[in-house]
Amino acid sequence: MSSELNRRTFVTGAAAVAGTAALAPLLSACGGGGSKSHGGTNSKAGSAAALPAYVPSSAVHPDVASTSGAHDALTDPGFVTYPANPAKSVTEVPGAGGHYTAITPLWATVPAPGNAFYEAMNKALGATLTMKPGNGNTYNTTIPTLTAARKLPDWVQLPGWWNPLFKVGELAGTQLADLTPYLAGDKIKKYPNLAAQPTGAWQAGMWQDKLYGIPTFASGFALPGQYYYRGDVFASKGINAADVKSADDLVSLGKELTSAKAGVWAFDDVWQYTDQIFGYAQKFTISGGKLMHKYEQPEFIEALNWCYKLAKSGLMHPDALAGNNNDAKTRFFAGKVLITADGQGAWNEADAQSGIAADKNYRRASLTPFSADGKATPQLFMNPSAGMFSYLNAKLKPAQIEECLRIANYLAAPFGTAEYTLVNFGVEGVHYTRGTNGPTPTKAGQAQVQAQTFPFLATGVNVVNNPDFPQLTQDRCAWNSEAAKYAYKPVFWNMNITVPSRFATADAAQAVEDTIKDVYHGIKPVSAFQDALSTWKGSGGGDRLVAWYQSTVLDKFGSGQ
Amino acid sequence: MASTVATDGKEHRNGEEGADGEPPVEPPPARRLTWRIRLRRDKSLILMTLPAVALLVVFNYLPMVGTLTAFQYYDPLDGVRHSEWAGLDNFRQLFGDPLFWHALENTLYISAVQLVLFFPIPILLALLLNSVLNQRIRSVIQAITFLPHFYSWVLVVTLFQQMIGGAGLLNQFLRQHDMGTWDFMTNPHTFVLLVTSQVVWKDAGWGIIVFLAALSAIDQNLYEAAAADGAGRWRRMWHITLPGMRGIIVLMLVLRLGNALSVGFEQMLIQRFAVGHDAADVLDTFAYYYGIGTQNYSYGAAAGIFKSVISLLLIWGANTLAHRFGEDGLYRK
Repeated sequence: MSSELNRRTFVTGAAAVAGTAALAPLLSACGGGGSKSHGGTNSKAGSAAALPAYVPSSAVHPDVASTSGAHDALTDPGFVTYPANPAKSVTEVPGAGGHYTAITPLWATVPAPGNAFYEAMNKALGATLTMKPGNGNTYNTTIPTLTAARKLPDWVQLPGWWNPLFKVGELAGTQLADLTPYLAGDKIKKYPNLAAQPTGAWQAGMWQDKLYGIPTFASGFALPGQYYYRGDVFASKGINAADVKSADDLVSLGKELTSAKAGVWAFDDVWQYTDQIFGYAQKFTISGGKLMHKYEQPEFIEALNWCYKLAKSGLMHPDALAGNNNDAKTRFFAGKVLITADGQGAWNEADAQSGIAADKNYRRASLTPFSADGKATPQLFMNPSAGMFSYLNAKLKPAQIEECLRIANYLAAPFGTAEYTLVNFGVEGVHYTRGTNGPTPTKAGQAQVQAQTFPFLATGVNVVNNPDFPQLTQDRCAWNSEAAKYAYKPVFWNMNITVPSRFATADAAQAVEDTIKDVYHGIKPVSAFQDALSTWKGSGGGDRLVAWYQSTVLDKFGSGQ
Repeated sequence: MASTVATDGKEHRNGEEGADGEPPVEPPPARRLTWRIRLRRDKSLILMTLPAVALLVVFNYLPMVGTLTAFQYYDPLDGVRHSEWAGLDNFRQLFGDPLFWHALENTLYISAVQLVLFFPIPILLALLLNSVLNQRIRSVIQAITFLPHFYSWVLVVTLFQQMIGGAGLLNQFLRQHDMGTWDFMTNPHTFVLLVTSQVVWKDAGWGIIVFLAALSAIDQNLYEAAAADGAGRWRRMWHITLPGMRGIIVLMLVLRLGNALSVGFEQMLIQRFAVGHDAADVLDTFAYYYGIGTQNYSYGAAAGIFKSVISLLLIWGANTLAHRFGEDGLYRK
């Protein structure tokens, strides 16, 4: 369950590291150019009319209930064990004998087509759903060829972090089906498992005030990431992580932990989530009705300065300074690095297994949120309530769309139900056997089911479950409910904004991002960032970009908060 | 690549022997060799080149239509046909972009350093290897130096990192003996040397092959005759070996100059964050990060076209120079 989240954060991270660019003078000449502005933003009133009703599911009761935090944050429920007698959440066979093809990304070995699991699924669905998983690592090149040729399949998964690349704003309504007539308001009650998706998740899949994306892996408290430490090493050294209450505390702890001669450094790259410590915005903040880019916040420079000093302090692993992020987990497992930044999904059973394979005492734990000066309240912005969406093809007829939505309702069955068990573990006796800690995959199950396929079309809401590591589930739920107290909705939360291509370069701000990287790796001083920033603001089009966000998005559609 | 060039040369020779060799004696027959006759005469040769030509057309010439995007605000969903035309706007932006000029500067600098520090090494290695008489030892050495060519750049950089990186073997040893550390992998000022040493490690052995072939083509009788006349080792190298290799050295130099603006995309990409973009951005990574990376495909295409035009000029210039020195260059004049 959590492993694909792990991959999701990994891919987001990788995309952030690998891609993204921006540059100054491009825009000045771009002037009147750039393609027509397709797609667009949702208005508050318009989206309210289209949003489906929310009816939480009561099919299965969690061991650790969700807790509410600040600003509507709702943590994922925890299941310490797998429910012994899976309840049924869908009573009828959803399909009507239709034939559909679906393309989803897969970061694992592609299962053989037409295998026993697919057959069992088709039987249960009452329709033929031909799954064609595509290699997740090249999925970003697969989809544009399909959209350019207008050959999208009947059902397709488009991960949200590729929205600008896939130009989903343009595809919505032209190649992707508008689901508003089928799901708006109370209409969704025909599909109870879809109705149990949080409202924010539907909102994150909306374009031009209409519903397009079916959310997968929705969560009421999605963070971009958090800071982790080696719980076992801290315990053996008698260090209490709760004593870290400010940025200075963290540095002093780092000095205590670092022993370069022994090949142990306190920190890996920690720049990524410094907004949680220093309190700068996700992208924009609003002061006095005016948008301000995070680059211009004093907190941002403060954070950058702190990271620059950290890079120069000798407390960071040299390979992290050399930009080698691929081995970050290996360094953490091996105890070469003791404090690291990683996605929410990194804290799961698969991680515990890999860590224990490297060091039998391995235990991942997470630092309780704290602020830089130890006095201010920490600020944790939430990610969109869903990060991955599946879409139906605009060519499908209404009856076909309804059939697919009934299938989606089946696939979206909550954790621990009979349908969930089939979708995630296959057929008992063939694909899994029932052990003390829940379903244990057989060899056939590993080959055919363990690779994520159907869940990329629709899932129930996220839960925390690590069958073999009950303590991990407890720890994570406890951390989430503490952290949720500091949650907030960033400016333009859950809003899909199509930035015109003439602003794409300024929006990505590659030249600034490159310089930021140089600074937190200690290659360039903070003044280099200030230089890059002033270029970006002027000839880089940054000021005009912010003005565009102000007049076209904020003034018309609000901040989404 | 080398084989295409060789066929090229041969064909020219064939074509010209008929036309050039005879005219002074008997002009009319030369004129009678119309393309139809020549086609019939060379048809088996032409047939043999057809598959290669077809590949070139499909994979090299047809995609060239895509360079049109450099003159558009290209949107993949609208396609080349429906995208808005930009005229020369992308180029205007490109030439006004300090990062672009910086990338070009880096490219030329790295290329020049590699020309001086890398280019002679395979030649020297080939000469050394040629002087090893034992055939067995020779093949072993050749196999060993040649193997790293097949490693991917990721692997090469990882190996360097493991050996001389900040937490690598060498620095861990220095640290444990309180001798300070040697920061070579993340130092932007010495990056060009790092890159060159990686290229030497990876490709010097591979580069030997073509020079060894040239060496084996030198007539052994010349050496014997020279030795009989009392020429020592150095004189034989100076007067026989080097002149024998000159043609191939010039050819490789021409090709190298044509590729002067390609100084290793992956190698830079992988190490970009270690030394910062100022040191590591070359034209190819520039097009990637500032074009493709921001979905500004047209801008990337414009940078690509600029690079191709300059490369073409370079290869033409080097070839002309080769002809002036009486060498074949890419083809016989």
